Amino acid sequence: MSQINYRTINIDALDPESSTNFPMESLLPATLPQPASASDAANAATQVRQMLRGGDPEGALRTVLDTAPLGGDDRAKEVHLATVIDVLQGIRQGEMTRILEGVCSGDGGAERADCLMKYLYKGMSSATPSSGAPTPKNVVSPQNTGFSQIQARNLAEGGGGGQQMSVLLSWHERLVEIAGTGSIVRVMTDRRTV
Amino acid sequence: MATPQVHHLFHAPIADHSFSSDKKTLAVARENNVELYQQSGNKFALSDELKGHEKTVTSVDIAPNSGRIVTCSQDRNAYVWEKTPTGWKPTLVLLRINRAATFVRWSPSEQKFAVGSGARVIAVCYFEEENDWWISKHIKKPIRSTITTLAWHPNSVLLAAGSTDSHARVFSSFIKGIDTRPEPSAWGERLPFNTICGEYLNDTAGWIQGVAFSPSGNALAFTGHDSSVTVVYPSAPEQPPRAMLNIATRLLPLNSLIWNGETEIIAAGHDCEPFRFRGDENGWQLAGSLENKAGQAGGAREESALNMFRQMDLKGQAQADTKLKSTHQNTVHTIRAHDEANGVASSFSTSGVDGRVVIWTA
Amino acid sequence: MSQSLRPYLQAVRSSLTAALTISNFASQTSERHNCPEIEANSSPEILLNPLHISRNENEKVKIEPSYNSVRISIRIKQADEIEHILVHKFTRFLTQRAESFFILRRKPVEGYDISFLITNFHTEKMLTHKLIDFVIEFMEEVDKEISEMKLFLNARARFVAESFLTPFD
Repeated sequence: MSQINYRTINIDALDPESSTNFPMESLLPATLPQPASASDAANAATQVRQMLRGGDPEGALRTVLDTAPLGGDDRAKEVHLATVIDVLQGIRQGEMTRILEGVCSGDGGAERADCLMKYLYKGMSSATPSSGAPTPKNVVSPQNTGFSQIQARNLAEGGGGGQQMSVLLSWHERLVEIAGTGSIVRVMTDRRTV
Repeated sequence: MATPQVHHLFHAPIADHSFSSDKKTLAVARENNVELYQQSGNKFALSDELKGHEKTVTSVDIAPNSGRIVTCSQDRNAYVWEKTPTGWKPTLVLLRINRAATFVRWSPSEQKFAVGSGARVIAVCYFEEENDWWISKHIKKPIRSTITTLAWHPNSVLLAAGSTDSHARVFSSFIKGIDTRPEPSAWGERLPFNTICGEYLNDTAGWIQGVAFSPSGNALAFTGHDSSVTVVYPSAPEQPPRAMLNIATRLLPLNSLIWNGETEIIAAGHDCEPFRFRGDENGWQLAGSLENKAGQAGGAREESALNMFRQMDLKGQAQADTKLKSTHQNTVHTIRAHDEANGVASSFSTSGVDGRVVIWTA
Repeated sequence: MSQSLRPYLQAVRSSLTAALTISNFASQTSERHNCPEIEANSSPEILLNPLHISRNENEKVKIEPSYNSVRISIRIKQADEIEHILVHKFTRFLTQRAESFFILRRKPVEGYDISFLITNFHTEKMLTHKLIDFVIEFMEEVDKEISEMKLFLNARARFVAESFLTPFD
């Protein structure tokens, strides 16, 4: 290891007092629920799907938002996100506003609204191009114009996942009407991610 | 409701403003300088400039009784300005910080002032007769990020601070020989320097933008970047608070707040207008905006067709929507009590990025 | 298709309104500096959670907020290779003139076609709601522009092809 280039070492990262090493866990409140595992999330999913089938979409949405694994691991969060999206897709356009008003009122309604907003953004962020198609963005030099950089690209489907996104977008619009921009601000600041 | 008095001073952000106790002099922080305005008639005219800082001035405060002005800036310095027959004379304060100074306030006793900084310390400054110099002691311990705001307890010992690590904290800034021993309160009984009397974090985190003690000093309110206002009622020293009430609003984040009596808070921020909150230990609520929008709605009269075509010809648009409906045209940074008696503010003043200082009737 | 454009732009608008709540902030890493924290990336607590808004996998917006700056990255719709070339040329033209285009970032964020960087100094000089209007209008116009350019290109290609093929007719 005689080839270490000392100029490229980021010394800030090695200093525990440096601001780069801010302890992010200090931003989590003490009231954070116990970490939920993927199987807990799966159990919640079954329960919620049953409610949805049983014709209680409002109850299903309420439950799925109340059981959000804020302290869970990534796997649990993935499973729960899928459940939330299922519930959102299972509710008809015409019923959205009525159900949202129900879910966002009453005890803890504001928290549920914030939680739903987090899921909407998370749902939209997971829209990565499906399959491992090479992205054309690995072109190193932007000067290198011409056809060489036009590589295989997932152009064919023209809006894969568009269906799901448009559902999330219409939920987003309704939720902003009810919970205001403050709710979006809290998605940004809240370190208890979903 | 009386219409607010608008003083449009210039087209540049006002980081902070402060009125003298007779309300005739107004100090505003404009870029690297502090400008002093004198009231003449119902207008404010530029009378003096305090030059000395090399970077953006972040905060300014006039001591109500002594008339001294303290300023601090991103160049890491703070000055105390005293009026002499030949003009304003600055004295450099020995802050011993190596990052920007972000916020400064005189204590109610005017013996001390506190400077918040990006160096993760609060410098509590006091005058030392022997050396004829303002020197400082640092509050350091649990602070992990830039201090954004400070507020003094009426007893001049307790100091509330908000920072970008999303915590609002209450410290003791007791300095022997300067302060008299404070009465024991719910915040603490014995208060040596740097005692942490309270540390609060919202569930939704968010940088703290404004803090304030209630007039009695028995409650603390703070506002954060998560668009919420939180009110804390302490129970006893070392105990969890009796009540910590969070009001999550649907507004944009609020930057600054003041108490108006024990049951009302006025806050303003990125929505460019002040809002009123009402409540007590059992619960707080947003009561609404102080902006009188009804009057403005009548102002938008029907445009004539000729005028519309003329506008289209000149500007390419029928109606210029470059004016906001609110009195302030950009973010409000600071809100201060203007006329105050026994903790009840009959009027308050706001200043913001749009270069306006507005005096409102509460 | 255009019926999903409205909620998309609406979502971008409300997200931008929430994100553009920025104020002056001096660096806490380097003395007497004041730089956009989202680019300096030196203290994690000064950055907020990024927001993603997508209409489909080829059209999305990423908003990265921080205390004194916001970075907005847009991925423009590219339905085929011609559109891809056109978008590339178009954004390159703009970014090369970034200097006179205050809020434009010189290089797009990885995975996006064009990025804007809005700092507190921009929101102090310009009206925040107009800045948002501008970004929205840009997003609307760029789609129109690209499809128009593609139509022109195709029309020209057809014309050229026809005139070449005439003698053999």
